[in-house]
This record gives sequence, C-alpha cells and structure tokens, in this order.
Amino acid sequence: MRWRAEKHTPYLLLSPAILTILFVVAVPLVFSLYTSLTPYRLTKPDSINQFIGLRNYERLLDDTKFWWAFGRTILFLTIALNLEFLLGLGIALLINRITWGQRTLRTIMMFPMMFSPILVGFQFKFIFNDNIGILNNALQSLGLTDGAIPWLVERDLAMFSIIFAEVWMSTSVFAILLLAGLFAMPKDPLEAAKVDGCTPWQVFRHITLPFIMPFAYIAMTIRSLDVARAYDIVDVMTGGGPAGRTELLWTLIARVGYDNAKMGQANAMAYVSTILSILFTWYFFTKLVAARRYMGGAA
Amino acid sequence: MRKSFAFLASAAILPLMLTGIANATDYGKFDGYTLRVKLIGGAQYEPLYAEIAKWETATGAKVEILSRKNHFELDREIKQDIAAGTLDWCVGSNHTSFAPQYGTIYRDLNGVIPAETLAGFDALAIKNSTVDGRLVQLPRHSDISNLFYKKSLFEDQANKDGFKSEFGYELAPPETWDQVKDQAMFFADAPNFYGTQYVGKDEAITGRFYEMLVANGGALFDEDWNPTFNSEAGVMTVQWFKDLYDAKAVPAGVLNYLWDDTGLGFASGTVALNLDWAGWASFFNDPANSKVAGDIGLVRAPKGAGGKRTGWSGSHSFSITETCDNVDAAASFVTFLTDHDQQMVEARKGLLPTRTQVWTDAKKEFADAGNDFLVTVFDTYKVSMSEDAFTPPLIEPWIEVSNEIWPRLQAAILGEMEIKAALDEAAEATRTIMEDAGYL
Repeated sequence: MRWRAEKHTPYLLLSPAILTILFVVAVPLVFSLYTSLTPYRLTKPDSINQFIGLRNYERLLDDTKFWWAFGRTILFLTIALNLEFLLGLGIALLINRITWGQRTLRTIMMFPMMFSPILVGFQFKFIFNDNIGILNNALQSLGLTDGAIPWLVERDLAMFSIIFAEVWMSTSVFAILLLAGLFAMPKDPLEAAKVDGCTPWQVFRHITLPFIMPFAYIAMTIRSLDVARAYDIVDVMTGGGPAGRTELLWTLIARVGYDNAKMGQANAMAYVSTILSILFTWYFFTKLVAARRYMGGAA
Repeated sequence: MRKSFAFLASAAILPLMLTGIANATDYGKFDGYTLRVKLIGGAQYEPLYAEIAKWETATGAKVEILSRKNHFELDREIKQDIAAGTLDWCVGSNHTSFAPQYGTIYRDLNGVIPAETLAGFDALAIKNSTVDGRLVQLPRHSDISNLFYKKSLFEDQANKDGFKSEFGYELAPPETWDQVKDQAMFFADAPNFYGTQYVGKDEAITGRFYEMLVANGGALFDEDWNPTFNSEAGVMTVQWFKDLYDAKAVPAGVLNYLWDDTGLGFASGTVALNLDWAGWASFFNDPANSKVAGDIGLVRAPKGAGGKRTGWSGSHSFSITETCDNVDAAASFVTFLTDHDQQMVEARKGLLPTRTQVWTDAKKEFADAGNDFLVTVFDTYKVSMSEDAFTPPLIEPWIEVSNEIWPRLQAAILGEMEIKAALDEAAEATRTIMEDAGYL
C-alpha cells in the first residue's frame, strides 16, 4: 500500500502543473481545432454547432491569397531573423569591446524592445510617409532624390519598410543574448589562439562564433515563436496592402477572423500556418542541439 | 395694460422655461448604480466624454468605461463579446455602417426613448439608424464629406490664365469630379505639391469608390442584391482614381492613406483640393495646427457623370444591449449624450449634429462670435446632409464585402490588374459572400 502511494506521489505533485497546462494550452488548442471544422462566425455563436468537416481546409487549398501570404511570411521571417542575427552579433561584438560606459550602452540598446509594437508601427508609418514623412523630406533636402519615394506602397520598398521596423524593434533581443554568450566565453582559448599567431578573423571564425552559436539559436528559437508580435507593426504601417503586397499570415487571419467574423475559417488558416512555426522552431532547435554537441555540451 | 401684458407673457413663458429646465435636468435617479459602457475613443470623440460627470451628478449613478478604442478595434471586441456571451454591459458606441452586423444584440429604442425625444432628431439620421425596422442606435453626430480647397490658388491670376489656356474653361471651385481631376493635375507639382488625395485602403477607399460609383450613375447591387459595381460606371470610377495616381496628382503613398493622413496632408499646405469630413474643419482653420488656416474654401461635394453628388454618409451613434440590466439608466445616459447641450459641445468642434435645433443654434453661436468659416461649414454641410447623403448598403456582410472590394481597387489603381478584371473578380467574391449570407 505504502509502495503504491510512493509510486503515485510524483504524479500527484505534478498534477497542478499538468492541469494548468491542460486548461491553458491543450483546451484552447483542441477548441480552436474543432472550430476550424465548423462555419463558426463570431456574430452567430450558434454556428459553432454545425460540423462541416474539412471544408474550411479544402477552401484553403484553392485560396491563392492565403498561399501568397504563406510564402510572403516565410520570406519575411527568413530575412528579418537573419538580419536581426547579423546586426545583433555586430552590436554585441562592439559592446563587448567597450571598457567604459558599457552598462549605459546596454540599457540604451534595449530601448527599442521596450516599445509596444503598435507604437513602433505608428513611428515608422510616419517616418516612411511619402508626403509628410521625415525620411523623404530628409532625402529631398539633402538632394539625394527629387521625387517622393512611396516607401509603404512600392512592392519591394513596402516589404523593406516593414522588415526595417521589425528589425529595429527586435535586434536588441539577439544582441542581449549574444552579449551574454560573449560574457560567458572563457578567455584562455582566445589568448592561446593569439599566441599561436591566429588572425582576428580566424579567432572569430573558429573560436568565438562556434561558442556563441548556441546562444544565437536560442535567440532564433525564441524569436521564431514571438515574431508574430510583428502583426501590430504590419497592421499599422500597411494593413497588409496595398493590393496584398505586404499581406502576411497574421494580417490575413486577423481580417478573416475578426473583421469578417469568420473565426472557423481563420482558425483553419491558423492551423495550417502553425506548421510554419513548428518547422522554424524545429529547425532552430536541431541547430541548437548540433551547436551544443559541437561545443561538447549536451548531446 | 403693459404690466398685465408682461405678466401674461411671463406666465406663458414660465411653464416653457420650467419644462426646459426639467428636460435639461430630468435624467432620473439611479443612486448607487454603475452603468457599464464601451465607447469609441479618439481625439474628436473625447470632449463629449468630459461631460459624463454631469450625468453622474444628476442621476447619482456611476459610469464605468470598459473600452475606449477606435471603431475597428471596438468592433472586434464586440464580436468577441457576442461569441463569448459576455455582453454584460449596457451602452456601446455604434455606427450606421457597423450596426447591421450585430444582429439583435442591441435593443429597439422605439419605446425605450420617448417619441417626443426622437422627434428632435433629423428624420434621415433616425431612418439610417434603423435596421430591419428596429431603431438599434441613437445617432450622435453625422458624417458626410465636402470639398475643402486652398483658396489662394483659385484667386491667383497666373493660375487662372494658365488653367484656361490648358483646359479651355475658367478656373473656379469645381462642380464636377471631372473638373476636380483637371484642376488636380493642373496644380500638382510632385513631390512638393499635390492636386488632391484620397484615402487608399480599408473600408475608407471602398466608401469613396461607392459614393463616386453612385454619383456616376452606378450601384453596388441591383434590387435583388446581385453585385453590379463591375459595370461601365464602376470602370469609369476606378479610372478616375487611377488617372490621378498615374499622373502623380496625388501623393505616391496614397494607397496607404487613411483619414489622419489625408487630414494632416491638407493641413500641411501641400494639397490643393481635399474631400473630407466636417470634423476636420476646425483643425484645418487652426493656425496652431494648419498651414492653410485662413486660406480655406469649401464647396459641396462635386457631381459625377450621372449628375448626382457624392454623399457617402453615416452617423456615429449609441446603442443599448438587450442584456442590459438597467434599461432606464442606459436610456437616460444615451439621451443625455445626444441632448441639445452635448451636441453643441461636439458642434463647436465642427462635428455635424443629428438634432435639427442644434444646427440652428450652433450656426447662430458661430455667427455671433464672428466665426464666418464655421458658419460656412455648417451651411454647406447642412445642404449636403439634407440633399446628398446616402449610406452604404445596411446589410450584415457589408464589412466583408468591403474587404473583397478594396484590395482589388488597389490592384487596379497600381496597374497590377486591368480595371474590369479587378472589378469582375471582386464582384464574384461578393456574390459568394451574398450567397453565403442568404441574400442570393
């Protein structure tokens, strides 16, 4: 009897956590999966009781708008995350070399991530405004252009603008985590490499970079999960337009789910797009494990 | 004799005065009650909310503002409340364009608001607030657009001569949208100055397209709800937007513009002609905010090819939920927010009242204060409200239909699609929505 009680103790102790996860994560997930199999409209709550099987998913297969948004979101994620990594790495390396005022600079560096994405969106919307925005006015005043550049309208520029805003807001996440990696790095290998006559580039390429790569992949994993915060930026700056040129999965899903009130269809879109999140997260996680194995860490 | 006449006169006036005082103060007593409300937020809506304390003092009730968001965010929140069954509040901001979506969550105010109170409102505003025979909202202020222009441009002799030699007729504030196009192209000098501008996305551009479609003799739907906007009039309408865009007579980023962008653009002094809401009038003429202050002309919205003026209109309003636990308090509150004095507060900001008496009183107040600009604004908008105003179709899927139309309008204006093909595609998508919604 006593043996049996001891056997169950861990489950008993874990049960609050398991129940919490069930209610906070599993139930909403299952519920939204179910609604994706219904024609559920927010304004007609009874429609949740009508089961239509995979009809919403079948519609998605023919929905070119959705697949364009899907592809565009992959492009957005790939460019934004890589740029954030490269810039974050550069900033971390520079700050790591500073001997005076480093704390102040670290604090200043974190300012952009303290802004709400909506504010960042408004800030860049007015910076990039073609008529009264400061960027065009500055370019015209400096004589670099004599026309109004339609930053938020022209196909490539519009994508560039929203990526720029996203990179501005989130690069510091990479910089902070990579800086933590640089701080944790032992000095002995660096000094040994210098004694052996390695060039700074060789030291960086073969010692510093492999050491901080696990930190980079942790940052990538975190960012790939919370990058959907960029929805607010895109919504404010372009709303996914014009003519769908900056339409990402998040703006499309929000419009279908809330503006059109078709939550069943929006949830089907969200479930398909979840594949994207899982793929990105899985990719970065395997890279993290590989990088740690390379460094002799956990297998 | 004179004394007794004075006595009789005062005896006659006294009951009227007392009635007036009673009307101004008799909002009932709701001591200890807390009225839960969700209101539209934003600079032009806030001055009214500063008056709420007066209602609280008069009734003994408290007002708890649960939300104060822009209308699109508020719309999302209300839809979530419907879905979650959490309509545990009494009064919500509403709009004639949004109201049909909400089904029967809002109470029919006929019978809740006394008929004599409703009689003080403009009959058209009340009619437009009615959905399926139910008065689901009490109109707060109305919206319609007229054409603001930079006056000095039209007085300049060089402009007059240049325009006449180029277009063959006199330069004068435009009477038709074709003239607007000519003048916009004449004045444009991108990137320093633009002829005109338009809002370029969301329901905003759908609305502008819709009103010009009607002015050009077209219609969004036929009487059986078949989409008909992919007609010749529809193509002509989109062509107007595209021609201005291609000629750089409008700012290059116009397809990303909403109301703030066009309003601030005109106030920056870099735009000649600007179709806009009355709510911007005071801002445009305020030297602290606007470079065109003192140099603004205003004419009624021009006519389209069909001889009709554009007049997309609607009203901001207040509704009372069916689930409200104190309908009397809610009715008292919305009556207070739309009464004479509160509408005067909004009228002073340039917002268009929905009570007929306020039109007269506000205009008199502006005239007495020597504010000729606001007198002109009220005169112009009064005519357009009574003669030109029409709402978008008051149907449940209006926003969904709009979401199918505006991206195609943008694609056509940018040249990504042929105009007819874009409208055909939008009409097909609209047909599916109307079929799903049971209209077809």
